[in-house]
Amino acid sequence: MVSPAPTGRINGRISGHPNGPRTPLRIAALFAAAALTLTGCGSGAQGGSAGANAANAQASPAGEPVDGGTLVYAEVTPINNWQTQAARFYEKSNVLNSVLDRLTYFDPEKGEPVPWIASAFSANADSTEFTFTIRPGVTFSDGTALDAAAIKANLDSFGHGIPAAQIQPNVDFAGYQTSEVIGTNQVKVTLDAPNSNFLRATSSVTAGLVSPATLQQDAAGQSAISSISGSGPFVYESEKPDEEVVLAKRDGYAWAPEGADNPGEAHLDKVVIKYLPEVAHRAGAVQSGQVDLVRGLQPVDEAALAASGNQVVAADGVDLTVNMAAVRIGSGKLADPAVRQALQAGIDRQSIKDTVLSESYTLAGSVLNHQAPGFVDLSADLAYDPEKAKKLLDDAGWQPGSDGIREKDGEKLEVTVTSSNNSVVIKPAFELIEQQWRQIGVKLNNRAGDNTFLTTAMPDPNVEFYGTRQFIYGGLGPIFEPANNTMTHTSDPELNALFAAERAAAPGPERDEVLAAEQRALVVDKAFSLVLWDEVQVYGAHRSTHIEFTSGTAPIFQSAWKVDG
Amino acid sequence: MGRYLAHRIGQALLVVWLAYTLIFLAVQLLPSDPVTIFLTSDSAVDQAAIDTMKSQYGYDQPLLVQYLQQLAALLRGDAGFSLTSGEPVTERIGGALGSTLALAGSALGTAVVIALAVVAAATLAPSPVLRRALANLPPLFSAVPVFWLGLVLLELLSIRLGVLSLFPDGSFLSLAVPVVVLALHVSAPMAQVLLKGVEQVYRQPFINVLRAKGASPAWIFYRHALKNAAGPALSILGITVGTLFAGSVITETVFARAGLGSVVLQAVTTQDVPLVQGLVLLTATVFVAVNLLVDLLHPLLDPRILNARQGSAPALAS
Repeated sequence: MVSPAPTGRINGRISGHPNGPRTPLRIAALFAAAALTLTGCGSGAQGGSAGANAANAQASPAGEPVDGGTLVYAEVTPINNWQTQAARFYEKSNVLNSVLDRLTYFDPEKGEPVPWIASAFSANADSTEFTFTIRPGVTFSDGTALDAAAIKANLDSFGHGIPAAQIQPNVDFAGYQTSEVIGTNQVKVTLDAPNSNFLRATSSVTAGLVSPATLQQDAAGQSAISSISGSGPFVYESEKPDEEVVLAKRDGYAWAPEGADNPGEAHLDKVVIKYLPEVAHRAGAVQSGQVDLVRGLQPVDEAALAASGNQVVAADGVDLTVNMAAVRIGSGKLADPAVRQALQAGIDRQSIKDTVLSESYTLAGSVLNHQAPGFVDLSADLAYDPEKAKKLLDDAGWQPGSDGIREKDGEKLEVTVTSSNNSVVIKPAFELIEQQWRQIGVKLNNRAGDNTFLTTAMPDPNVEFYGTRQFIYGGLGPIFEPANNTMTHTSDPELNALFAAERAAAPGPERDEVLAAEQRALVVDKAFSLVLWDEVQVYGAHRSTHIEFTSGTAPIFQSAWKVDG
Repeated sequence: MGRYLAHRIGQALLVVWLAYTLIFLAVQLLPSDPVTIFLTSDSAVDQAAIDTMKSQYGYDQPLLVQYLQQLAALLRGDAGFSLTSGEPVTERIGGALGSTLALAGSALGTAVVIALAVVAAATLAPSPVLRRALANLPPLFSAVPVFWLGLVLLELLSIRLGVLSLFPDGSFLSLAVPVVVLALHVSAPMAQVLLKGVEQVYRQPFINVLRAKGASPAWIFYRHALKNAAGPALSILGITVGTLFAGSVITETVFARAGLGSVVLQAVTTQDVPLVQGLVLLTATVFVAVNLLVDLLHPLLDPRILNARQGSAPALAS
């Protein structure tokens, strides 16, 4: 452990990371990892993976950062829309994270936003007014000043969208009314309803700050990375559409978030973002040294990559919900909460982890990630209990038919799940759930990973399950609350009251209490979210790459370095 | 010749127009409009926002108005705007077209060479065993999936041997390998049809006459058999364009190449309907154009086609 004491900017689990455990949480995590390693070794296939995680402890480079060099990063699919508010997908946010700074930075260890471009911020008692003091001396890469006026222009574009350029408002900026510049370096934001999540929302990549000139462009201009000017540690250098984007270090960058490892210019000279749609090559790309970092590693490739002396890094998605089957009740089959609770009890999560996931994944304990502020552990309510599930279904009037599938009023308990193919593990997970539910008399049509079906299924409340996870910068409200939400397509008055209470609550014990009630309602009482595993993005990194991640699973290229430069 | 030309070109235009109309109607059959589908792809959106964008893109107009407006715009060369990037569809597709044309064009040329080589070898090889073995190559080529061969070659050449980049890097190999992978697959139907044709020609009496006159096997094959058997193979070549396009999409994904493949993939995954419409229309146009070209080439191979009333070249040729 030779590194200087690092700060709260790091996220990403590798056991025996060179920066080592620094907080009780991290130490606990290390013990947990060690325990998993021990139990894993005894259980065949999983032993390989757990042992592999231990192996990459030696692989990860230690020592002082090296300046210079080019890091090659392989993303999953090419992107051609880089507009800030559209950065709700990893492919975009992982790149824009290094190009656009934000007003605040979410520190996962403190569990709260810390200063970044806003050197100070405050909220009024009922969370309807927020004042940001803008750090002096920051400029966009086009040379213009990142001052209070520029912040106001950005906040207005998030809050109201830019109709002239067909850009929609940022969903996390609920209740945004106006911003005004106060004095020389302050901006006051007024909301028309309390929103204590507002500060967190300003830390999201989808609230990344761009130069006023960028905001003036039309939709195509704001979508092209070549014409985006941010204040981040990297600037656009060149692009081959659909093949690669090259970012170069911003000379003179000196405004990293408070407490960052590296307060100034990036260590790397360049970052080259390439695309590797083919999942089978991701581990090999790192092993053969053709890329330094790759996202979307398959669980089956983790052991081999770690065994080759390279790194498997799990970046925890603290800023996201867990992966879940969100329940839609439009078809009527799942309208009775008891049926949803039966399906919740009919999922054997441990067996999902043992079969299709790896030690990089943590089983969900709630709809929030384990490290998320306000997380409550509901795992006792999530125990696998097929007998309880059967009894609940019996009592709800669903009786097994001749083929073992339950029926009620002549209708079979046959349900459908949709999901995108973006996650490498979601389809096999639902294949296993399909088998598990068969045991309790429920037929699952598994359409997970079928993007064409997803097109029609997403807006259709009759498709019973939507397998996904979502960013929670605006709290759980924007995800489950509005009547047209894509998760449940159900607006539940009791839940809505809780979401409103969450926004109105002061951060701290008061809000945690509301958050606990929300989680209990979503997972246990109403069972709208059949939770599966904490969101995590598993990266493969070359042995000579030093890389850390944000709490939104984005790589932090600003503090990254390579042993050989 | 002039009448034949006008007839074929008119037919081709009709097919493209019908294809366009079908695509338009297919989009209308989707459960909701393109804007709603696009905007709800990740999170809940305000209905007002959906309405605004709909009216910006003209999706709030009556069906017939939309159809006529889109058609009129299309005739002016305006295929609308991509919902994801805001770029004109023509620009988005145009930017990717070059790379795909290079891949597909090279693959088509290579496929013709492979097909000719296989058929020549399978006909002229000295040993009957070798001839039979060579004649079985085309079924093998068509049985091997494009993506599988691509994955195996990349695993071998790039990850194990390190002689090929996983990403296109402008080197000869980084174009040649995907071209060959695609060409092998595309060559299979051409080679099979050509081989059958050549076998049929060999059963005709004039071949015996040529043999009796003392013509060499190579002379008979190249000067007589091949020319007489070429018609059906040419028709297959036209139809192969569809395979070529689908194959390019897969090959581009496996080899991480930019091109229409990745545009198709993105357009479909992001529900960018105007872009999908443009791509389908392009595919239909290319398919029709190549088949038109094939039809126009047929009379050069077999002038009898011009005399056949209503004669469709492929029908007569096959």
